[in-house]
Amino acid sequence: MRGRAGRLFPLPWPLFLLLALQLIGQELTVKDTLGRTVVVPARVSRVLSLQPEITRIIAALGADDRLVGRDDFIARFDYLSSIISPRLSQLPAASAPDGTPDLELVMRLNPDLIFASPSEASISDYLQSKTGIPVLAFASMGRFSGLLEEIRWTGAVLGRKDRADELIGYFRQTLGRVQKAIADIPAGRRPRVYLSFWSSFTRTPVFYEPVNAAGGRNLAEGLMPAYLGTLGTEVSLEKILGWDPEVILLHGSYLPAERKVTTSSVLDDPRLRSVRAVRDKRVYYTLGFWYWWDPALVLVETLMLAKLFYPQRFRALDLRSEANAVFKTFYGIEGGFDTLGRLLDIPDRPWR
Amino acid sequence: MKENRRKRRAALAAVIVALPIILFFVSLNVGSYPIPLRDVGKSLLSLVVPSFRSEVPPAVRDIILLIRLPRLLLAVAAGASLAVSGAALQALFKNPLVNEYILGLSSGSAFGAALSLVFLGRAFPPQAGAFLFAVVAVLAVLLMAGRLEASLVSLLLTGVIVSAFFSALLMLVEFLASPYALQSLFYWLMGNLSLAGWGDLALSLPLMAAGLALLFLLRWRLNVLSMNEEEARAMGVDVRREKWLVILAATLITAAATSVAGIIGWLGLIVPHLVRMAAGVDNRSVIPLSAALGASFLLAADAAARSLTSIEIPIGIFTSLIGIPVFLALLNKSKKVWL
Amino acid sequence: MSLRVENLVFTNRNFTLRVEKLEFESGRLAAIVGPNGAGKTTLLKCLAAIHPVSRRVIFRGRQDLAALHPAERARLISYVPQEHSPVFSYTVRDFVLTGRAAHLALFSLPSARDEAAAEEALEFVGLEPFAGRPYSQLSSGERRLVLIARALAQKAEVLLLDEPTTFLDPKHEWAVLELIRRLTDERKLTVLVTLHNLDMAVKYSDTLVFLKGGRVTAAGRPDDILTERLLRDVYDMPMKIVPCDGRKLIVR
Repeated sequence: MRGRAGRLFPLPWPLFLLLALQLIGQELTVKDTLGRTVVVPARVSRVLSLQPEITRIIAALGADDRLVGRDDFIARFDYLSSIISPRLSQLPAASAPDGTPDLELVMRLNPDLIFASPSEASISDYLQSKTGIPVLAFASMGRFSGLLEEIRWTGAVLGRKDRADELIGYFRQTLGRVQKAIADIPAGRRPRVYLSFWSSFTRTPVFYEPVNAAGGRNLAEGLMPAYLGTLGTEVSLEKILGWDPEVILLHGSYLPAERKVTTSSVLDDPRLRSVRAVRDKRVYYTLGFWYWWDPALVLVETLMLAKLFYPQRFRALDLRSEANAVFKTFYGIEGGFDTLGRLLDIPDRPWR
Repeated sequence: MKENRRKRRAALAAVIVALPIILFFVSLNVGSYPIPLRDVGKSLLSLVVPSFRSEVPPAVRDIILLIRLPRLLLAVAAGASLAVSGAALQALFKNPLVNEYILGLSSGSAFGAALSLVFLGRAFPPQAGAFLFAVVAVLAVLLMAGRLEASLVSLLLTGVIVSAFFSALLMLVEFLASPYALQSLFYWLMGNLSLAGWGDLALSLPLMAAGLALLFLLRWRLNVLSMNEEEARAMGVDVRREKWLVILAATLITAAATSVAGIIGWLGLIVPHLVRMAAGVDNRSVIPLSAALGASFLLAADAAARSLTSIEIPIGIFTSLIGIPVFLALLNKSKKVWL
Repeated sequence: MSLRVENLVFTNRNFTLRVEKLEFESGRLAAIVGPNGAGKTTLLKCLAAIHPVSRRVIFRGRQDLAALHPAERARLISYVPQEHSPVFSYTVRDFVLTGRAAHLALFSLPSARDEAAAEEALEFVGLEPFAGRPYSQLSSGERRLVLIARALAQKAEVLLLDEPTTFLDPKHEWAVLELIRRLTDERKLTVLVTLHNLDMAVKYSDTLVFLKGGRVTAAGRPDDILTERLLRDVYDMPMKIVPCDGRKLIVR
């Protein structure tokens, strides 16, 4: 990942291809992440989203009044959705914890369109064949380009193309600012970062784009194929000591009570005391989710990481107000970042 | 001819005993962080001779003393525990297909770890949950089977039932868990020595040592207990009491090993067989040699898991991948060992 | 000192064994005979403490055996089962050594004395050359002898043998019975044997006990109690007693 905006989104992105735009027939034929070709009606007034990223994107597109249902994860575990759209908490959960859709409920909710997660390929086809309702399986797969495509296609099928373009432009522009500010820093001088995800200090994602976009070098990159991305892999403690990271980032989107790996557990671990990041006390929480991103949060995270990695260069960046502005742009809410910060118990300065 | 066989057996036994010691020192030098031999030596010596401390970089010393040493000790203790537990239970149940997890232990510990990882906080680590429910599962088996007649068949059957019960509970916990908790549970279940530190060993090591000592003392008694129960009773053995003692000791060490290392399969099944093939079925040899060979097995598997690739392959995968072919080969040759 | 049974009642599924009074002298061989299902094995197992028996039923002299610890009791009474299905193939020596369990505490290993007792037992049954051989490689006759040797290593005054001659050919059958007779005469043990072979029972025993349907039909010296009428009552079929070479043969 080089620091130039033009190279950030390599074209062509093969995941989403528009096969035919049939303006006359008022239908849209869309190819989703799984490569399924789906015909979507022109007017979509009732939407069921079983994919958390899409649910949030729909809220950002201002179309959350059309949502008739949500998935189990948003319903039970996602504290973020109540911040960005109070309406979401009213919706019934139409899938089970393992992703299986509740067919009867789906029929009763009678959506015009269903968004599903591509992680279980069979569910999308199953759902579509059983209900006769078109099902689109989208996910960002841990890539900004994927996220932006999600926004674009969701906007397209919901008739909110302008709003989608607006968000995409804002996203690119914000990222572009960061990229420009660090463009001149050669690869060898970018901070070496170790990420710990999934409640285990030795579990690390082999690809995490926010770190790259903020000008850091993910030490685990290349250990395994990038598509395993945020799922990650196990490394040994020795390996981490060998890498000697300058910055350690911990999976911070857990609520404080649920965190198993904390900054104090890392800083107090005698085995890690020789690591540079520990000596310099540069151990922080980051906001990484699984592959269910929130577009605003991902952007905020990138800003936050940029400030962590290059405190001098981003001295002027007021993270708190920038972050709140991002949330306002996406969701129209005030103080969104403040609320999140209180929930996750983190101050707005580069936090521990 | 018989003399030759005895000499060969003695030689094999000597090899088995020496193996863990050799592997221990070899493994101390294996790892992704390259450390020259003399630094390894100096790090170890710095424990007793403080002046050596300054001669090795702190990172190196920390790796040897805080990362590799506890991990290897755990491999030795867990390997010995699982193998001895399997050997003792095979003798007790007069069944060479018995393994150390037979009385519901693996399901119980998996459920306990899941309960802790998913619902309970940092205060109740998965090690504690795993140990607690492993013991609970076995106690449940002993109590329930005791109401029947505590015969070996009823123990095994009750073990199957209790296992199924905890497996069902485990599935329920998994169903209710968030994707975050599920991930950590998934990795715990596969077996992992990578995070073993002195803190983990502080409790589990003494438990394993105690249980191993107990079974070591009982090693000849296992010969008697491996006879038909009626015959054992007629030979003056309080079968019920001694059966419980062996089961509790085996449970203690298996639960302690599993709680820190995760579920590592095949050791308790295969190692005793290999030992019997090499050194005969007398438990006076089988028990200590199983401890040595089990420790070696796990040391070797751990060294392989650490060094083959730059990522950590869960050790349970190794013991299965190696264990299954070995087991198949054993099945062909095993006619000499039992009938 | 004699082994006495008084008012033994043992119930097992549909079967009840009831023995009012039986007495077995030391230095005497008693043969327990009767049809299948008469309770012969059950009686032995009660005496061997394999089946639980209440107090004040089985006595050795004045000592109530049920009041003893299992190990104490095993030092008085040893038992040879009809067959042993081995799972682990111990060497003959190690197999016989397990018979010393009653003399060893829970955590003890066999001492030189225990090894000597095992050696001695092997010598007596003539299996010394087989000591290092695995049990699985023995013939059924040799296995019987090993089982007896194990019981001998136990060094108990009472020796119970359950059907020691089944499945043995005539030569081995004879060898085993001679061995048992020697034990009774040389070591003055109290020996109880259950036998199917009536001729052998008559030939070797000092005392005959007839069981039928869980009850003692007759007990005493063969010369005293053996009549054709008794045989017909016990076995439900006519039999003749034919004298031959100073012995009595049973002919069906």
